[in-house]
Amino acid sequence: MSNQFSRAVERQLSLSRRQVLRGLGACVALPTLLSASPAFARAASKAAPTRMAFVYVPNGAIPAAWWPAGDGGADFALSPTLAPLANVQKQLQVISGLDDVSANPEVDGAGDHARAGGTFLTGVRIKKTAGSDIRAGISIDQVVANQLGHKTRFASLELTCDVVRKSGECDSGYACAYEYNLAWQSANQPLAPEHNPQFAFERLFGDGSREQRVANLKRREYEQHSILDYVLDDAKALNTRLDGRDRQKLDQYLTSVREIEQRIAISKSMDVPNPDVDAPAGVPASYEEHVALMFDMLHLAFQTDSTRIATLLLAREGSNRPFNDIGISSGHHDLSHHKNTPDIMAKVQLIDKWYVQRLARFLEKMDATQDVDGNSLLHNSMILYGSGNADGNRHTHVNLPVVLAGAGGGAFKPGRYVKAKDQPISNLFLSMADAMGAQGIDKHGDSTGRFA
Amino acid sequence: MAVPLALLAAGLLSHSVPSKAVAEKSPLDVYHSTIVPILEDHCYECHGDGYDKGKVAFDRLETDEQILEPGLWMRVLLNTRAGLMPAERKPRLSASEQQQLERWIKYDVFGIDAHDPDPGRVTIRRLNRVEYRNTVRDLLGVDYNTDHEFPPDDSGFGFDNIGDALTLSPMLMEKYVAAAQAIIAEAVPTAARAPAAQVLPGLAFEGHNATEKWGKRRLVFNEPAQVAKTVKTALAGSYRVKLELEVNGSYVPDPGRARVVAKVDGKTVLDQEFGYFDEKVFTFDSTHPWSAGDHEVRIELTPVVPEGKKETIIDLFVNKVTIEGPLEKEHWVATRDYEKFFPRAVPAGRNERRAYAAGLLGAFARKAYRRPLDDEDTGARLAALAEATYTQPGKTFEQGVAHAMAAVLASPRFLFRLESPVGNARFADVDEYSLASRLSYFLWSTMPDAELMQLASRGELRHQLGPQVTRMLADPRAESLARNFTGQWLQARDVEGIASNPRDILLRDAGEESTLKSLFAAFKAQDEKTAKELFQRINDVVKGKPELEKSTRAAMRRETELYFTYVMREDRPVTEFIDSNYTFLNEELAKFYGVPGVVGEELRKVTLPAGSPRGGVLTQGSALLVTSNPDRTSPVKRGLFVLANFLGTPPPPPPANVPALEASESEFHGREPALRDVLKVHRENPLCSSCHNRMDPIGLAFENFNGVGMWRESERKQPIVAEGSLVTGETFNSVAELKRILVTAHREDFYRTLTAKLLTYATGRGMEYYDVETIDQIVKKLDDDGGRFSALLMGVVESAPFQKMRTQATMTVSN
Repeated sequence: MSNQFSRAVERQLSLSRRQVLRGLGACVALPTLLSASPAFARAASKAAPTRMAFVYVPNGAIPAAWWPAGDGGADFALSPTLAPLANVQKQLQVISGLDDVSANPEVDGAGDHARAGGTFLTGVRIKKTAGSDIRAGISIDQVVANQLGHKTRFASLELTCDVVRKSGECDSGYACAYEYNLAWQSANQPLAPEHNPQFAFERLFGDGSREQRVANLKRREYEQHSILDYVLDDAKALNTRLDGRDRQKLDQYLTSVREIEQRIAISKSMDVPNPDVDAPAGVPASYEEHVALMFDMLHLAFQTDSTRIATLLLAREGSNRPFNDIGISSGHHDLSHHKNTPDIMAKVQLIDKWYVQRLARFLEKMDATQDVDGNSLLHNSMILYGSGNADGNRHTHVNLPVVLAGAGGGAFKPGRYVKAKDQPISNLFLSMADAMGAQGIDKHGDSTGRFA
Repeated sequence: MAVPLALLAAGLLSHSVPSKAVAEKSPLDVYHSTIVPILEDHCYECHGDGYDKGKVAFDRLETDEQILEPGLWMRVLLNTRAGLMPAERKPRLSASEQQQLERWIKYDVFGIDAHDPDPGRVTIRRLNRVEYRNTVRDLLGVDYNTDHEFPPDDSGFGFDNIGDALTLSPMLMEKYVAAAQAIIAEAVPTAARAPAAQVLPGLAFEGHNATEKWGKRRLVFNEPAQVAKTVKTALAGSYRVKLELEVNGSYVPDPGRARVVAKVDGKTVLDQEFGYFDEKVFTFDSTHPWSAGDHEVRIELTPVVPEGKKETIIDLFVNKVTIEGPLEKEHWVATRDYEKFFPRAVPAGRNERRAYAAGLLGAFARKAYRRPLDDEDTGARLAALAEATYTQPGKTFEQGVAHAMAAVLASPRFLFRLESPVGNARFADVDEYSLASRLSYFLWSTMPDAELMQLASRGELRHQLGPQVTRMLADPRAESLARNFTGQWLQARDVEGIASNPRDILLRDAGEESTLKSLFAAFKAQDEKTAKELFQRINDVVKGKPELEKSTRAAMRRETELYFTYVMREDRPVTEFIDSNYTFLNEELAKFYGVPGVVGEELRKVTLPAGSPRGGVLTQGSALLVTSNPDRTSPVKRGLFVLANFLGTPPPPPPANVPALEASESEFHGREPALRDVLKVHRENPLCSSCHNRMDPIGLAFENFNGVGMWRESERKQPIVAEGSLVTGETFNSVAELKRILVTAHREDFYRTLTAKLLTYATGRGMEYYDVETIDQIVKKLDDDGGRFSALLMGVVESAPFQKMRTQATMTVSN
């Protein structure tokens, strides 16, 4: 088609250049940000660490299109929604039977989206409050980070692809904190995630040019050290004067300062990796690019062993994002209440699949990256992908759509469709914590035992 | 200290409020003697005698605790006042019955002492990112872009300045430390004398193929361009030339590249190829031995076109070029702002230096903490921190002091708003410094200015509240209240970011939704002929319609802010938020709305033509757009918006398994129904009707405004019908009539709702049952004063929650 025509389409239909080019069958390959370079130099014989990440996708999934057919086991065919994962199927466990009953309404009534998000990694009922006395529980990633976080430069990494927040109230009388934060350091301290891939990169590796990054990072840490010492004293003096919730706030401050100090101390004894890539250039306008970059940051953080524990919120629970790139102009949440209308279900399934495609690219990259022990990075990782909502239409929280990719260094046997008996998803989290090498964690949230 | 409000409140209410001390009957006695008969007459039909609609049965309240449970009676108060209960067609409470019920609820059940209401408890508030930015601007004159640097703040109760909801994480703390360093580095000079500097703004550069954008010189990646500027130097010597360039591709990553060469007097100082960046600033320094006279700085851009790629939309901005020199020490000049931070020469002796630093840093900390230092050592401790830096080799005294100033900005005393009570009464006045901060963060979203601080230090602020509020409202900083309050109360903030597909909306209005589907299919099938035909058809629909540009969205937000500012500054009746004959428009927005006769970019007050459906915030683009789905209007969201933000009676959230409206379309067997018809089907479900009967009629009254706020006469080729009736009985034929009803029959509901929202924003906490009395007192003043904005604002400022705090003694008891 003519260039003039494509420009007219682009202008009139407010499609992005990329979409038009794709529509016209002339998709240009964009330069990939990160090449699949080998893992950073370490002795090849070294034992590799295990990593884990939790990737959250909102509004559940169309169950019929999500679950593979058959009785489970190693010989299974991927479902339509999971089909994009074909290249990493041998590293994949599709797991049914996992529940998040803490997200059920019970006496709290509406607010299933806030609950699905706020309970997913915490496994506890969250307090229904629009803003005072917010209370969830510590999330599993932080439980493990408390034990193992000191082994890497960053105890954990929190990422999100939500840039803009809706103002006004969030879901049905629940404070917004429950939807926008996956990781909770304690019952009342959510860990705000980073949405800017550039900042995520600079935090991990330093800012400035490739040559200056490490030096910049070291200087930053050096200069901050004495400031942190000072304000820590200041906060301690203040703490004696405060009470109740005021004190809670100051405790958050103290914990945060101590954690940075601890990191600086650890950092002194470790080399700062300097990956052979440019930092991302801020937040891309396209959501697809943004998601890809955040997955890149996750990959890079694991590859360089900067952290072993991460959470990535692809979009807050209840997200109403339209997907114009694939011809869906209505919002995801609106569509998810489809009342079994075939047209609408088809659109929701397209969105489900779109997200799985993004996951697939990331997993393929993890699989193509060799870790220090010669295995693939994916083999040494556990990437849990899923939602706290099962059927978005009915707001159910049992039989959650979940896949676990990677073998956790051999702790899991992937390449299977696991039809597990009904149990809390927290049971699986406990088993993942075991695979990470965490000790003495007997219970998390509503867990009833190890995953079995 | 005298509290005018308490006296006023006592005077106002003494004839109507039974003081607790003289009350003759216990709350339970009154319940049985007075309240039960009212309930029997009006409520038992659904909530007694075996019925328990909504799980409420008054005759099953057994224990004293159940009878006096505040949550239940809060609902009774809300629903009877709003006319929602007794439900439709059931006999209403008489005025005296309503009054008896309200009194009993407020003074007996809630135990409110009208002479000394509970101010509630506010958790110490962290500065949110708006407040942080403004505070740094006022403290140091630095504009630090916190929207870019910090993560968004969690909000609670609909606002992002709620103490309990504002948390702090290690990542944010790291950002605070980094921000403190960056801000101080920009603000504070680190030497007394430095080379003279001359800044050449980007627009000073002129030449070939160069345009202007955002006040900067703009070159584009796909056109060869060059610009130059000649500077004159009076002295010979070494000069440093600092180029600041920016690559800005405001689109998806683009493969375009360009080679940029910079020359100083013909000598190449930069020769580099640039690729895509969303928004990135580059600086390049070079040093030159210059004679006195003319020197030229030239920048050239040559496109480097990747194969098969002819267009790009990446900009290269010349932001500025700074010429520093002569660099030789004998020519140095006094540093800009030096005396602002370092009023005298740095002393030589170690102790003198320490004392000087302690004085400077103590004064800075006092200002930054917005109150006197509670620890005499603060200055000395900061000076020790400074000394640890300036005694290092190669570091100046000023650098050391700057380092300690960064610590001040990272201190919890700066990042949190700490408050103190006066005395230890149960509900004590906050001290004058706390009051100064409460006022300035409420009205200005920033720290108190010098005048507020001086009044506070003299203990005179509380006596001068009226004049101070008047002064503060006249100050440009008061626009922060308009921006941040309306931005959240009316969600006007969201209008710039919310997903919207105007093309789909226009196609739906025209009944051409399916054409788009077909177009995508034709694209997929590479069927150019069909695609062109369908494209033409779509083009016919959207042709000539104003587009929803970024600038249109910005104008919508500004419209709402300016409207609020006008009501605030001109002290108009707050009912004009709903109903008026004016709004604020520029040419672009006026065209979008179809209002004739507005020319130019500046938004200004426009008196609307007679019969215009606009006027008031509800029919502004911001409200109409944020209450729409990406591809259509949502009468449900619009109805809910009015109920929640104007009438204070949001229905409970929908149950699970609630179908999307689209799902009801299947009942129309292939016909494309208008939303009004779809909603009617939806409401036939009794599970849905009780709430949708409240929301839908209100939302449907706005159906003449499509999903982006344009006026339309039809939807899916069917004419719009805007008539309807409220559950409270009033009927209307148009959105204009609905607005009249809202400001007459429901005026008090609106006053109460607006007061509660503003009080939430002002105090940084959610409203509790014990705030009912405070809100009622403000509403009474507002009503007595013809609804004027000043009555509302002063009511909030003089209220107990704003003036007082619970002391620690109370907290121990109540927690």
